[in-house]
Amino acid sequence: MRSSHLFAALTAVLLTSAAAQAEVTVLGWPGGPEETALRDAANLYNAKEDVADEDKVELIFFNRDGFWDKLQTDLAAGGGEFDLNLLATYAIGRYAPFMEPVELPDSAVDVFGEKVLATMQFEGKQYGVPTDLSLHFMYYRTDLIEQLLSDADWQARYSEIAQERLGKELKPKPPAEWTWDDYQATALFFTKAVNPDSPVRYGTVLQMKNLLFNMMVWHSTARSEGGDWMDADGNITVDSPAYRKGLELYKALYDAGASPKDSLSYEFAEANAAFGSGQVATMLQWNAAAADLNDPEKTPAVGGKVGTVPPPAGIAGRFTHIHGLGLGLNKSAQNKAGALKFLEWLATPEAMQAYAAGGGTPALSADVLAPVAEQRPDLTQLGDYAGQYGFVMTGATSAGALSVYELQAENFTGYWAGQKSLDEALAATAQGMADLLKK
Amino acid sequence: MNLLRWLVFAIAAFAMNFPVLSTLVTSFKSEAEIASNPSLWIHSPTLANYLDVFRISDRFDILHYLWNSFASSILGAGLSLLLAFPAAYGLVRFGTGRKWLLPLVANLRAIPLIVFAIPLYLVYARVGLLDTRLGLALILCIVNLPLVLVLLVAALRDLPVELDEAARVDGASTFTLLWRIILPLAAPALATTMVLGFVYAWNEFLFALMLTTRNAVTTTVGASFFFAASGGGVRWGIAAAVMVLSVLPPMVLGLLLYRRIGRSLAAGAVKG
Amino acid sequence: MQSRHLRDGRILLAPLTIFLLAMLGLPLVVDLIYSVSRVEFRTILSPEFVGLANYRSALTSESYWQAAWFSLRFGLACAVAQLLLGLFLAIFLAPLIDRRPWLLAFLMLPMMVAPALVGLMYRLILHEFVGVVPWFMFTYFGDSPSFLGPDNAFRTLVVVEVLQWTPFALLILYSAYAAIPKDVREAASIDGAGPWQRLWRIDLPLMAPVLGATFFIRFIDSFRVFDNVYTLTGAGAGGATTTMSIWVYEAFFKSGDIGRAVAASMLLLIAAWVVLSIVHRLSERRA
Repeated sequence: MRSSHLFAALTAVLLTSAAAQAEVTVLGWPGGPEETALRDAANLYNAKEDVADEDKVELIFFNRDGFWDKLQTDLAAGGGEFDLNLLATYAIGRYAPFMEPVELPDSAVDVFGEKVLATMQFEGKQYGVPTDLSLHFMYYRTDLIEQLLSDADWQARYSEIAQERLGKELKPKPPAEWTWDDYQATALFFTKAVNPDSPVRYGTVLQMKNLLFNMMVWHSTARSEGGDWMDADGNITVDSPAYRKGLELYKALYDAGASPKDSLSYEFAEANAAFGSGQVATMLQWNAAAADLNDPEKTPAVGGKVGTVPPPAGIAGRFTHIHGLGLGLNKSAQNKAGALKFLEWLATPEAMQAYAAGGGTPALSADVLAPVAEQRPDLTQLGDYAGQYGFVMTGATSAGALSVYELQAENFTGYWAGQKSLDEALAATAQGMADLLKK
Repeated sequence: MNLLRWLVFAIAAFAMNFPVLSTLVTSFKSEAEIASNPSLWIHSPTLANYLDVFRISDRFDILHYLWNSFASSILGAGLSLLLAFPAAYGLVRFGTGRKWLLPLVANLRAIPLIVFAIPLYLVYARVGLLDTRLGLALILCIVNLPLVLVLLVAALRDLPVELDEAARVDGASTFTLLWRIILPLAAPALATTMVLGFVYAWNEFLFALMLTTRNAVTTTVGASFFFAASGGGVRWGIAAAVMVLSVLPPMVLGLLLYRRIGRSLAAGAVKG
Repeated sequence: MQSRHLRDGRILLAPLTIFLLAMLGLPLVVDLIYSVSRVEFRTILSPEFVGLANYRSALTSESYWQAAWFSLRFGLACAVAQLLLGLFLAIFLAPLIDRRPWLLAFLMLPMMVAPALVGLMYRLILHEFVGVVPWFMFTYFGDSPSFLGPDNAFRTLVVVEVLQWTPFALLILYSAYAAIPKDVREAASIDGAGPWQRLWRIDLPLMAPVLGATFFIRFIDSFRVFDNVYTLTGAGAGGATTTMSIWVYEAFFKSGDIGRAVAASMLLLIAAWVVLSIVHRLSERRA
């Protein structure tokens, strides 16, 4: 279409902002510590003397809601609006056709290790530099759990509730030893609707909005019971006892009033607001919330009283969903050389240490982490947890993975809301997944 | 009886304006107070949220969003007037297109606009109009056209045809007539229509959401970014301040020009 | 003279017509092509003809009908509530407004606010731990319902929509009410008709066309709703608050199934056209 030039020229004259545009544009993950960290790293990079003006980095951030939808359409349109963009383990398969594989210097292996580099690989090719690792913690209120573990009256009531609601004999245990039964009993104990003497309104807060990220949080439950998307032969295996148990657990907690009434419209932000109000005892949540929630300035009600452990264990063990976030090269990038330079720099210890100091959560080898380990003790914990408990569902890096999450979100929230039976929800999910993962 | 009327008025006005009122109150509370005191009463009012909005402008450039909204709304509303004014005159005086154009445009109002969103997105992507204020303004023009055309047709119909005839006798062409005689006479109607078009365009969300990513993000879309503005807790106070800033321009216009706007809206609805 | 008129008329209409052709005609052609093709983001320039498969796929999709049903119920509930509430306020408050027209300014104000922002505002207002409405309920009633849970989401959304757009109905109906000549009403009073009788026999029949138009406009706007529902609840648990517009949006962006999304929007266009022509017939028969 010829008119494109005319329009472009017209637009340029009439409407483009006068602000000078840096030459390497980077689309990052908005609104969290990842953003602050990337800003710090970019500032450090731009201040370097050997970085030419036309290779300086400008950051773009878009809305978190619908981020991947938007990214997909922009990449497919091939507009080259950004040179580097966010990639995630679960989205690599979908975006790989619009991205260009990159060759990282050999030293990158020393910085990240093979396993972490692999979170940015698809079909054997490296598509980006891994900047952050995301996983889940079980958050709990240390003050409440301490009292539960020491107060005889509370313990008696706890066992009573466990017997009555779960039909099991349970005694309070430290959160690091919890199974899902312990978690469920604790959540019920701290729920006013179940135990009118509870000092807080809710025992837990679940994120049950029809949103793909909420499925990832829930997956830790299914996996610990032995659930997976499919078996080695490619058969969809979601209609399994593990999936049923995990789904029923959420529904039971929600129906019992152990999670806020509007949990079906909750996501990351709402859940944090609930936990941060001091009216909730436990929460299964992304690691990214830890720093702010435990900061008495930012969250006066619970700051200093927040503990974190890996999610509870099921019959197959203890697991947490992990995925990597990273930056990769857009196929239609307008400044590929400059973008590659920045990527290569990102894979150096200097860059990653600045990124970690800025609040990011990179998974780094012990040597590289050492200088910032004192400042970020949680990164050592993060690396340990990822190594011990991390999992990725089979098929969750394929081209259809994002759509699978969407499909599960639609059906599973339908079950939790009471619109669908468990059988219907699982059947519909299994059928849809067979189509999506076949391609 | 009159007391009862006042009471009903007060309740209705309060309930209907409640979201804005409540958000206004929240925007003057500190983060700690929002968490501890959700009521409509502010213990210690603060401007911190408004200052913060501008302080984090490297992340969320509110002035840029407001400027985008302003520029694309002015352009969108202006363009719709520019196209609709001559057309309305042609419709009224010559009856051209009365059978097809007027119903076609008026009926646009009843069509879910999402129908056009997908192909426009694809076309825009090809011609480089994605994420530009011009691209957005063109869409806002479409959004406005039904109302604008109907209002202008109604306004021009009310002008006495004798003026036209007198001018014709003096030998004026249609276009000088339109420019010299009709335009000044229709100026008040045009002004009101422009204001209405501006407000509608300012408040548009669907296309702004779909067609912009950075350069042309408007304030209705930008405000939703603030809900993800921090890692741990949502900064509700900042979000509230941003929403207040975003609704201010159309609300001020509404308060100042309520009479004209009200009359036009009523006329547009009934005649359309 | 006649031919000059014709020529001038055409010239006057030309810019608008060309603009509409470019901005609506072209997309419509693209719509038509894609709706009968298999096309994904990767193959956006090489659609493959598949006949009516996309239409079949949309029409046999349970969620499509769920969304249609939601939009229909939502549109009707909102339109009825707005009409009744607007009518009541218009007539009941007319004596006040007649004397102090500036009161209207406050009743009109909600219309000036972007619906998308209204949705976001309610996300704050209705949050159990930071919102003012649950706080009020807890403080004075000891408990607060689940406003956005599966049982109440529909009702909450209707209330949100009605509170924002009743002003529209109010405004139009007040103008219509105020336009009824005084002497008509006075004549009825002299004949001994009470206020209720006047309302039923004089006011309402005279306002009937405006009532019909208002209902239709409000129904259409609520039926095609996107902004406030999208920002407040999104698609909803199990798709419970998916409107037609949200369905098309999600089919396009989330599933990347462009053909199906476009086919669904074409069906929507056809439905709108059918409804419009029925309404047009009805109003012509009356005239």
